[in-house]
Amino acid sequence: MEIAASKVIFYIIAAAILFFALLSVTSKRILRAATYLFIVLISTAALYFLLNYQFLGAVQIALYAGGIVVMIIFSILLTSHAGQKFEPVSRLKFFASLLAVLVGWALSLWVILSHPFVASSKEAVEVNMDSIGKALLSYDRNGYVLVFEVISILLLAAMIGAIVISKKQPGDGETNPDNSKTSK
Amino acid sequence: MQGVLYDFTGLIQSIDAVFRASMSDLWATVLEYAIIGIIYLVIYALIGLFLVYAERKVCAFIQVRLGPNRVGPKGFFQTIADFIKLLLKENIKIKNADGVLFNLAPFIVIVASFLTFGTVPFAKGLQGIDLNIGVFFIMAVSSMGVVGILLGGWSSNSKYSLIGAMRSGAQIVSYELSVGLSLVTMVILTGTMQLSQIIELQSDGWFIFKGHIPALISLIIMMIASTAEINRGPFDLAEAESELTAGYHTEYSGIKFAFFYLSEYMNMFVVSALVATVFFGGWMPLHIGSWQAFNHIMDFIPPIIWFILKSFALMYVIMLFKWTFPRLRIDQLLKLEWQYLLPISLFNVLLMAFVVYMKWYF
Amino acid sequence: MSTQILIPFFITAVFLVAAGITLAYMLSPKSFNLQKQEPYECGIPTVGVTWLQFNVGYYTFALLFLIFDVETVFLFPWAVVMKQIGLVGLVEILIFFFILVLGLAYAWKKHALVWQ
Repeated sequence: MEIAASKVIFYIIAAAILFFALLSVTSKRILRAATYLFIVLISTAALYFLLNYQFLGAVQIALYAGGIVVMIIFSILLTSHAGQKFEPVSRLKFFASLLAVLVGWALSLWVILSHPFVASSKEAVEVNMDSIGKALLSYDRNGYVLVFEVISILLLAAMIGAIVISKKQPGDGETNPDNSKTSK
Repeated sequence: MQGVLYDFTGLIQSIDAVFRASMSDLWATVLEYAIIGIIYLVIYALIGLFLVYAERKVCAFIQVRLGPNRVGPKGFFQTIADFIKLLLKENIKIKNADGVLFNLAPFIVIVASFLTFGTVPFAKGLQGIDLNIGVFFIMAVSSMGVVGILLGGWSSNSKYSLIGAMRSGAQIVSYELSVGLSLVTMVILTGTMQLSQIIELQSDGWFIFKGHIPALISLIIMMIASTAEINRGPFDLAEAESELTAGYHTEYSGIKFAFFYLSEYMNMFVVSALVATVFFGGWMPLHIGSWQAFNHIMDFIPPIIWFILKSFALMYVIMLFKWTFPRLRIDQLLKLEWQYLLPISLFNVLLMAFVVYMKWYF
Repeated sequence: MSTQILIPFFITAVFLVAAGITLAYMLSPKSFNLQKQEPYECGIPTVGVTWLQFNVGYYTFALLFLIFDVETVFLFPWAVVMKQIGLVGLVEILIFFFILVLGLAYAWKKHALVWQ
């Protein structure tokens, strides 16, 4: 009974992911597309929670749903045409992208079907934080301490990149209709 | 200390046993989930209504007024009347607004606040969601709410809403960092993120006493940053009424506005409950080391009373913030976070790690 | 499985909003008035498009937030085991923080942390 119930939940979540992913690419308004992407990311987190990967699910929500989607929305509002609807694509583009989609679909289907999946009979384990933390910080054979430290360098590079890109050069003199009037 | 008011684990287990004995496992689970849903729904609504009333009374107290005093004794039923009024109002559809996103925004905001509300430990055994990533789960799910605010503001087709939403988006994401880092500081001391375990570890003293200086710094940062994260005064420039009418929910009317309002107040409750749990022992009575007699007297007060007292005291402090300090400007707000709170909380994490390494905690 | 308990909470929250909106739709009065649908603007018609181009400052802070958020995510597992592993954890986090503080100092120097 338990297995059947989680199967039903899995199919509901999977259907939600597929449905909103389709909506996200076909939507004509850019912010709606971002919202559907948000729902897809949340549903993916739900899949992780279903597998009882609690930390991974929470990371998915915190970083993707709470971080990246917010950044996407900000970057959409940075453009000057946020309210516009997209033009319908030309017929040539439509068929070209349809072909690309079909090829990609066939390729991934072929890879998935040719891989022999062995069903695991093991009970889903609860990954506790202790083992995650110890694996992250241990420096023996299966430890990830080098990765942990290198990530800080990656973050440093990302931060410098972000500042270089987003700071305006002196003398640009652009005038943005922001709310600076009220915040002077 | 036996008795059902002191430990709910047994009561809940026996209810569970009765259900599972009388029907199949699946139906028992479904029925239990339905009961949990209904109970939490009622508590959620009741606390929300009470908080709105309490806020108005506190505001009136500070401004030397009476506050609501007509409906019911001392105006106690005022918010129920307000709720009925909001329910009966027309939901206006704004011209050129993005209808889908406009209606979706309250869902996102309420789901985020309801899921975090489920993690609140009211008493021993009285906790809906008790994951082993507890503290981090609250942080993650509450960060979902900002998307609802941004969408609500954007889809309203109003400049006030859009500016309010952008401001509160920048504000919430910024202050979330300090909330997260001060929670990290406490997790170093606790060694676990599960809320029920964090409370059990405080049976011989609350963490605010055990962690002394770094815990105190962490508490101050947490109170400031979480007040900003839930968009309350003095950090309420998202809805600065003198310049932006009502911020991101300017165009919302009737019940949809009520949901935004409700989620704001419930986020305040969740934040106070989280601070009470992590720093002040949650439902754990005040215990001091080995003073057996003192601890025993304290144990007579039921844990649920302790919890309510602590979280409402913290909420009173947050309400006092709002009615005491003037509102910040957005540049001051971001300066406070990025140039003061963030470096201090990074330093505080190191300080706590050092204290824990030297075993200077109690 | 402890995570299944999330299901009733999610459903209840969705139910709460859906029921509220449906109930309000059934109970509330409806009247048609062209002016009522106008977005709020102190009594005068709004001028220009609503969806303006925004200051890049918001975007900068969102990017910086994302970087520090990733950092916080990595700090949580470290914080849980810090008490058990002692000196090793302290040294590792000192290196981690040293590199990140360089980034924060760079941002400070470039005035990325102030609102412009």
